[in-house]
Amino acid sequence: MTGDILFNQYPTSPHIWDEMKAIEGIRQQYNSIYDTVSKLNLNDLEQKHKLASELFMSQGITFTVYSDNEGIERIFPFDIIPRIITGTEWEHIEKGIKQRLTALNLFLKDIYNDQQIIKDGIIPAELIASCPHFTREVFGIQVPYDIYVHIAGIDLIRGEDGTFYILEDNLRTPSGVSYMLENREVTKRIFPNLLSESNVRMINNYPLLLHDNLNAFAPKQIANPTVVLLTPGMYNSAYFEHTFMARQMGIQLVEGRDLLVDNHKVYMKTTAGLRQVDVIYRRIDDEFLDPLVFRPDSALGVPGLISAYRKGNVAIVNALGNGVADDKAVYAYVPAMIQYYLNEEIILPNIPTYQMNNVEERTHVFENMHKMVVKETNQSGGYGMVMGNSASDEVIAKAKENILANPRGFIAQPIIQLSTVPCLIDGKLQPRHVDLRPYALCGPSGIQIVAGGLTRVALREGSLVVNSSQGGGSKDTWVIDMPTT
Amino acid sequence: MLSRIADSLYWLNRYMERADGMLRLMKTSYILSFDKVQANSMTWEPALKIFTSLSNEAIEDLKKDNTAALQYLLLDAKNQNSFKVIINRARENARGVQDQITKEVWEQVNQIYHLVNQPGLAKKLAGPEAIVVIDKFINTSDQFCGITDSTMPRGQSWNYMNMGKYTERCLLTAEFTHYFFKEVAFDFKNEQDIIYWRGLLLALSGYELHLKNYSSQDHNYNVVQQLLFDNNFPRSVYYALDRANRYLTDIAASNPVEGSKELKRSFGRLQSSVKYADLEIVEREGLEKYLVTVRKDLNEFSRTLGRTYFSYS
Repeated sequence: MTGDILFNQYPTSPHIWDEMKAIEGIRQQYNSIYDTVSKLNLNDLEQKHKLASELFMSQGITFTVYSDNEGIERIFPFDIIPRIITGTEWEHIEKGIKQRLTALNLFLKDIYNDQQIIKDGIIPAELIASCPHFTREVFGIQVPYDIYVHIAGIDLIRGEDGTFYILEDNLRTPSGVSYMLENREVTKRIFPNLLSESNVRMINNYPLLLHDNLNAFAPKQIANPTVVLLTPGMYNSAYFEHTFMARQMGIQLVEGRDLLVDNHKVYMKTTAGLRQVDVIYRRIDDEFLDPLVFRPDSALGVPGLISAYRKGNVAIVNALGNGVADDKAVYAYVPAMIQYYLNEEIILPNIPTYQMNNVEERTHVFENMHKMVVKETNQSGGYGMVMGNSASDEVIAKAKENILANPRGFIAQPIIQLSTVPCLIDGKLQPRHVDLRPYALCGPSGIQIVAGGLTRVALREGSLVVNSSQGGGSKDTWVIDMPTT
Repeated sequence: MLSRIADSLYWLNRYMERADGMLRLMKTSYILSFDKVQANSMTWEPALKIFTSLSNEAIEDLKKDNTAALQYLLLDAKNQNSFKVIINRARENARGVQDQITKEVWEQVNQIYHLVNQPGLAKKLAGPEAIVVIDKFINTSDQFCGITDSTMPRGQSWNYMNMGKYTERCLLTAEFTHYFFKEVAFDFKNEQDIIYWRGLLLALSGYELHLKNYSSQDHNYNVVQQLLFDNNFPRSVYYALDRANRYLTDIAASNPVEGSKELKRSFGRLQSSVKYADLEIVEREGLEKYLVTVRKDLNEFSRTLGRTYFSYS
């Protein structure tokens, strides 16, 4: 079987936006892929798929599943057909994310200092006060350049008419950027010609941009600040990413036990004695960072770290307390924040969000449960989510019960049919739902976003859940500048 | 360099060197087990004594069964010193220092790990493929040395890695020698023919060198001379300590912390007990005592090294 048959058999649906194929035929941006893949036979494609898996395996880009006391190494599934975004679409996304992040940074500064937005009645005080990630311990702490969200992974989806929506804001320790970078490296090996012919914007300057920013956040004006990446350790599922980023930036990868705080300064323990640390890019959640302030049972963090942070002797990236801004109930107020802080209309729209502590909205949701997705406000990674269209009556009844017990803990949104892209599955090209997570970096010189991001795919047929913990995979994401015709 | 990193680099290489020594001893034991002359003597005994903590009775049982011995030494998770367990530990250490070793080194360790964890390996060891499997492992272990040598930058990481490698090598050579001489009651006069010593020399990759260098029939003396004092033989105790001393000097110079001078001195004492010794002294003191002392002192030194540079918890 050759590639063109694969394309001819590819189904489309009028109710779902497919990124490759409109009802009229293949979209222009996918022409080069169509040309290349058409000339290959299925065997070649499957060889490429196998090669890609082997590349991930041999580089140790794996996570470990433990059973019977033995660890089994698995890779995150990777689909070889790239997902394509046009330059024009990208300009729009970029503008929207920059606007949103600017507002969210202002919001975080405001909420941990003067709280004008509450005093002006834009956001209800009880919404903030009831947010589990609103961190009173960091109130009033001044951070360099007033930047709280240094690295953001804002998730976008595409509705049935092709409109991009913001699905959620990840402002704490967003992960996955190593997959964005490694996916491209793998594509370079499996489709070298296609990549060079297609005019794809580059992404591999991400570590350099981040490194420059991290250096700039050093509290003292010194030439070579000591920047470290703080990891929970090798048993963390994102450990590969931590080593990858440390290596790409040439900074030390440290664990909590490598650091200590003395006289409000942070040091790392080296073979030549103690050495002061200026900037910490941490990949440990807030509540584990300092057992003296947060969870006393945490062995991952560094006792006294927050005292050094408060004194301004060390910069922590991302800032602590950001969870209040990516709370799923606060999400609904981001359009209002943009209006309030920037006096602008929102560029990338939110998905309509129903607050469960509002009786009217809750009744509406309960009556239309099968069209709704219910999410826990402080969860991420696809945990605690109920998809009304596929859940059993029992699960729905349980969800309602949970909502009534703690209305602030949940929101509901209408289910949006995410756009689809072709994936090579069981010897066929099949449409699968995707989202998009571009990675944005905020530094002293503004917000930078490398072109593309991580495309996550729900590999099960019909599934709308793309999280890697829930059977998702990923794709290389290309931003292509189309020739003007 | 972080103390934790230095510790992991040191142990990564100790484990890799131990795995390497083990493979070579296993290969010789396996091949020699087919020779009639050797069949009823001691083929598997040194390997089982050195790399397991089994009782003497269990060793008696196991050494009669080639496949069982091989599987226990190579793959059994119950054996805390099996090749598989050692490689798993090496990889854990490599994983923890991924940003400090080159991508090539990491990928090589990772490759060995996947090789030893592949399904169906135990079955292969039971059949005619056993020797192919062992050869493949020896090959990947050689590659590890080559890749480390050709990609790792010379500096702190390199010094700790080599410190681990040569410490382990010295211990292995002393231990291998110990168990082969135990069989002849550590007696230089209890002459064995070269066939007997071939097992030991092959396990240390020194057989050919031995044939080239020694023409007299005093095999027991010659073997000790080569394995302890030959400064051109890369697995001799002399050579390993000499190398370790170089790296220790660099480490102490770049990390002038409390205790580094004492550390240098204690290593100096150990090294001179080999550097300025000869066969006569060893024979007078007794080979067994001499070998045990070298190992004891080196283990003690290794602990002090850890206290001086690796204490982070």
